Amino acid sequence: MVDHAGHVYLPGELICNLKESEKTSKILVGPGLRQDEESIIVTKCGLLRFKEPNFYWIDSHLKRYVAVKGDPIIGIVAAKAGDVFRLDIGSSDLATLSYLAFEGATKRNRPDVKVGDIVYAKCMVANKDMEPELVCIDSNGRSGGLGVIGRDGGFMFQTSLNLIRKLLSSDCILLKTLGNGMHYECAIGMNGRVWVKAKSVSHTIALCNAISAAEYMSNEQIKAMCKKLTNALAGF
Amino acid sequence: MRETPLSNCEREFIRKALGERKRLDGRQAYDYRTLKIAFGYDRGCCRVDLGQTRVLAQVSCEITSPKQQRPSDGVLFVNVELSPMASPVFEVGRMSDQGVEINRILERCLKESRCVDTESLCIIAGEKVWQIRVDVHVMNHDGNLIDCSSIAAITALAHFRRPDVTVDGTDVIVHTIEEKDPLPLSVHHMPICVSFSFYEQGKFLLVDPSDKEEKVMDGKMVIGMNKHREICSLQVTGQMLLLKDQVLRCSNIAVVKVTEITEWIQKALENDRQARSNGERFGFREAVVMDTVTTNQMNPEKLK
Amino acid sequence: MCEMMCELGQLTRCDGDACLMQGETCVTTAVYGPTEVRINKEILDKATVEVVYKSKVGLPGCAEKMFERIIRNTCETMILTTAHPRSGINIIIQEMQNSGSYLACCINSACLALLDAGVSLKFLVAAVTCLIDNEGEIILDPNSKQEKDGKALLTFVFDNKDFSIVTVNTKGSYSSQQFKDCTSLCKKSSKQVFEFYKKSMEKLLSKDNFVK
Repeated sequence: MVDHAGHVYLPGELICNLKESEKTSKILVGPGLRQDEESIIVTKCGLLRFKEPNFYWIDSHLKRYVAVKGDPIIGIVAAKAGDVFRLDIGSSDLATLSYLAFEGATKRNRPDVKVGDIVYAKCMVANKDMEPELVCIDSNGRSGGLGVIGRDGGFMFQTSLNLIRKLLSSDCILLKTLGNGMHYECAIGMNGRVWVKAKSVSHTIALCNAISAAEYMSNEQIKAMCKKLTNALAGF
Repeated sequence: MRETPLSNCEREFIRKALGERKRLDGRQAYDYRTLKIAFGYDRGCCRVDLGQTRVLAQVSCEITSPKQQRPSDGVLFVNVELSPMASPVFEVGRMSDQGVEINRILERCLKESRCVDTESLCIIAGEKVWQIRVDVHVMNHDGNLIDCSSIAAITALAHFRRPDVTVDGTDVIVHTIEEKDPLPLSVHHMPICVSFSFYEQGKFLLVDPSDKEEKVMDGKMVIGMNKHREICSLQVTGQMLLLKDQVLRCSNIAVVKVTEITEWIQKALENDRQARSNGERFGFREAVVMDTVTTNQMNPEKLK
Repeated sequence: MCEMMCELGQLTRCDGDACLMQGETCVTTAVYGPTEVRINKEILDKATVEVVYKSKVGLPGCAEKMFERIIRNTCETMILTTAHPRSGINIIIQEMQNSGSYLACCINSACLALLDAGVSLKFLVAAVTCLIDNEGEIILDPNSKQEKDGKALLTFVFDNKDFSIVTVNTKGSYSSQQFKDCTSLCKKSSKQVFEFYKKSMEKLLSKDNFVK
């Protein structure tokens, strides 16, 4: 039943009495849950979440990223090999990004990417048996913000994956409240990496520390912290 | 294993921030991170946290035959292990260049400065002496392993107690803790290493660099010093030229830092000594802060 | 059984870590995974589980390798290795304090570290030590003094699905009736260890509830 949702489950525990969808009597299980013959077993420790009509998954605290199709990711170019770039995305394998997967790139017109640059890309191919593949264009051939970032400043830092999910959820007011106090640009990668750029070095550093510190904070605490931050920065 | 490479964006930002004299964690250029010292249940076991860098040190002793050149001196052996726990780059077994460097710096700082009196470790001259072994394990690498390891090593040596022995002709009787109280090592002075990292071709320096700051530095200087203003070791590495007054300025900063750290170590040793003599509980358990989400405690019920 | 205390997530470089204190015995375990693995150790359809055990004093020897082997076998049954083929899961165990019931403390801290890292697991394991002393009495979680004088030392590892035995490690001689008694006593005691895991993870995740 829906009462299950919001409780902590440990691996090895069985979940029963899940709510099925009315149309097809099927239950969709997501990350952290596995079907074992007739029953559903938990494989990761975390909170059970439920979304209408029949979607269950486990929300766990993770630091290590496992590539998932469709995720926007920030990768660091580790090597150039033939026609592809090899990027470090924090998972067990290096991901590949083809030269041609950039907006306006052709065989003659190669994109200007050096080793050590950071790239905001989308994951196109991701399964457990293969290396992940990334692209910097959408299906229409436009970049839509993807591509090399960080050329003109800003700082990138690493956080845990659940902080990323929290930042991107509609309930969290951190990014909006910070935006009320100062101008900044940010790119959030689902692999735990965040790139931010503000007016000055001290603003950027303050922003990084504020985002990292918000991991365990509630909305009221976030509001209080942002107020303190903007007051302190106004004195600069 | 592979380590995440440092991106150009991060490197340029850190250099720019240092150009404006700002550090990522808000410290001033000469500030150390928070230092925490916890002692274990065993004598000679201590864990030191310098910011997020964590190091465990254990001192042990055994009776061996002395070196031929020094028949009436005991032996002090220092071993620093870069555990794979500390960073994905460290591997078991193989000692990397960084590991060799840390080992040599610590050996020079502790052994060759004669901080521990090796003559008092002699039992029977020419035949039996105590070998004191300091094992330092690095548990988390967030920069400045050398300082943290040297603090852990010297604190563990000051904390350690060796068994009392009686020599009866050619027989040596080693007394257990119940028979006779164990004796402390004779530690003359406490040499502590202070690391400086240099940027902008040696013009700007930072004390206690964190991991990211270490990755962008031009060069490094390590000064081993005790609180009596005696320099025990000095090592400069990297691609830069240092001016004479830079070196003098660093040694003056090191004096202040070493005095502070030595006081802190003495306070921690004193607290532990009082806890042990008053019959209070001691050990790593007492160092745990209980009211955080990351710790938990359980007292189980009796079963039968 | 003795008092248990744990500290999770203290180290910043690894993916998960746990410092477990059972009585005075203290062990810290760090887990990296799923991460890259050397080509000669790669397995095509499963993850490679590697355990490194570091004792406090001295260089590693045979006893350490035996320890690593026991813990590796236990962890390999526990981890869902087919979820991450061609990758590696590294478990590093550091001895902080050995005051008895040591193997059980290491296995429990490895399990907690795997939980903290979020590695996919088939089930959890709990290890319990019991000692048969010279009078035939069974003592749970002996300290090192009791272990020295005892007749036999048995360590049992149970899983939390059907409470079946995953690993048994014994030292000394005992009768089969004594073995059966120890098994049932340790099984009851392992339920408390699972309770402890649950309470620890509930406390760690308690701040998450407001995110929908």
